[in-house]
Amino acid sequence: MQKSDHITRMENQEFIPLQIKANREGFVLLPEEAASFQAVFAYLKNRLEHSRDFFRHTKMVLDLRFRVFSIEEIQSIDSLLKESCGAGLVEIKLKEGFSLFTERRERIIVPPPASKDVEGVPLIVRQTCRSGARIVSQSDCLVLGDVNPGAEVIAYGDVVVFGSLRGLAHAGAAGNRHAKIWALSMEPNQLRIADMVAVPPRGSKPVPKRYEVALVRGESIEVVTV
Amino acid sequence: MAGRTIVVTSGKGGVGKTTTVANIGTALAKKKHSVVLIDGDIGLRNLDVVMGLENRIVYNLVDIIEGRCRKEQAMIRDRKLGNLCIIPAAQTRDKDSVQPEQMKRLCEELAEEFDYVFIDCPAGIEQGFKNAVAGAQLAIVVTTPEVSAIRDADRVIGLLEASMLRDVHLIVNRLNDRMVKKGDMMSTEDIVALLAIPLLGIVPESEDVVVSTNRGVPLVHDRSSRAGAAFQGIAARLNGEDVPVHNGRELGFRDFFRKLFTGQ
Ligand SMILES: Nc1ncnc2c1ncn2[C@@H]1O[C@H](COP(=O)(O)OP(=O)(O)O)[C@@H](O)[C@H]1O
Ligand SMILES: [Mg+2]
Repeated sequence: MQKSDHITRMENQEFIPLQIKANREGFVLLPEEAASFQAVFAYLKNRLEHSRDFFRHTKMVLDLRFRVFSIEEIQSIDSLLKESCGAGLVEIKLKEGFSLFTERRERIIVPPPASKDVEGVPLIVRQTCRSGARIVSQSDCLVLGDVNPGAEVIAYGDVVVFGSLRGLAHAGAAGNRHAKIWALSMEPNQLRIADMVAVPPRGSKPVPKRYEVALVRGESIEVVTV
Repeated sequence: MAGRTIVVTSGKGGVGKTTTVANIGTALAKKKHSVVLIDGDIGLRNLDVVMGLENRIVYNLVDIIEGRCRKEQAMIRDRKLGNLCIIPAAQTRDKDSVQPEQMKRLCEELAEEFDYVFIDCPAGIEQGFKNAVAGAQLAIVVTTPEVSAIRDADRVIGLLEASMLRDVHLIVNRLNDRMVKKGDMMSTEDIVALLAIPLLGIVPESEDVVVSTNRGVPLVHDRSSRAGAAFQGIAARLNGEDVPVHNGRELGFRDFFRKLFTGQ
């Protein structure tokens, strides 16, 4: 019960670690720049418990433009929402212009980029992308780990995997055929660059741990060792 | 000191969760730990059958949670080991009759009394899965060397990580050495490389498992079974003992003697 002590203390000091704002589809969660994750988590938990019906099954956007959370912290917020009132994170705003979508969606919904060229800081994922995960970046996407079969990494720019790419990668998702997919080891389910799709030949056994890059040459996607 | 709560899960059905719970639980009870096994597969109970206790069921998990009996009334003591018991699932109810918070509370209470609390998780990633993992501190993910089972295991590991369950260990069940050598089956190394969680043990494909299930006597009682030896090794490692995972398989008694005499 230390957590609730924490909350009362925070409230006494009138410091609210998290703003919850309503938007068209649900709510936006906006953590304060100076707030600790524990304070944000405890505050949110308390609010959800007190107004469970109010938040029930709503769609939440987590706005991390000012206060950065780790992937683990984001995941624990997401499970808190799910468990306490069946709500879920549908979008995580990381920087102006790029977002990470947590839910599996029927089709790719990426807001159009601000300019024709891909700009901004790449999205960095510091963990294994497991089956069922879907990561969308409006810039480049860097994965520091493997992309497992059944996981999808989608980027407007390049996709770079510092590990084995065994799932699906889509580079140049907004239509840029010059985008590339890089991986330490290329064993994908499928590769997509812009509007093109490539499926690896069946039964081919890839040699693990080389540096490889997939790019468009002429009218097809080719994988070359670098 | 409170005991450990461990969920055994897989995503895919029929990969050996119930077999694992019955055998690891029995092996730990043989080591004189107090152990309770909860059948979390509400609507499809079968842990009681594997343990040979189905005739003794009066009350079940849902009865405890809905307050129709005390938890002691629903616990069925093992026929051989006095420090081992199971809480059967309800056969005639559905998974929604239990909430994660209720399971969590029950597991906490049981951990006060027992050294080990095991939860046998149903297949799938819906309500039954959420209930089963709610009260666990540690998860064991069971997979077979098949692509579909591994894919589901990967999904489940992702979900466990997202629900803040970080202590996740892997068991590869039904490994067939001969098929791996021929290249017809994924090797344990490949599976561990993909799933990227620590390997707790490897259980070979074995007819003993079917025989033991049909007799309702867990394999770890059978000293000559290789699969039984594998489960004993897993239980020992879980218990913090330094037993190596033998390359590809555990040593059964016969292997042990063969090794002793031939020096290989
Ligand atoms: N190592 C093994 N070798 C042979 N058969 C096995 C092995 N492990 C499990 N089985 C068989 O597979 C079936 C499913 O096992 P079970 O433990 O009930 O899986 P789950 O609980 O995951 O659905 C059972 O018939 C069991 O006897
Ligand atoms: Mg089962």
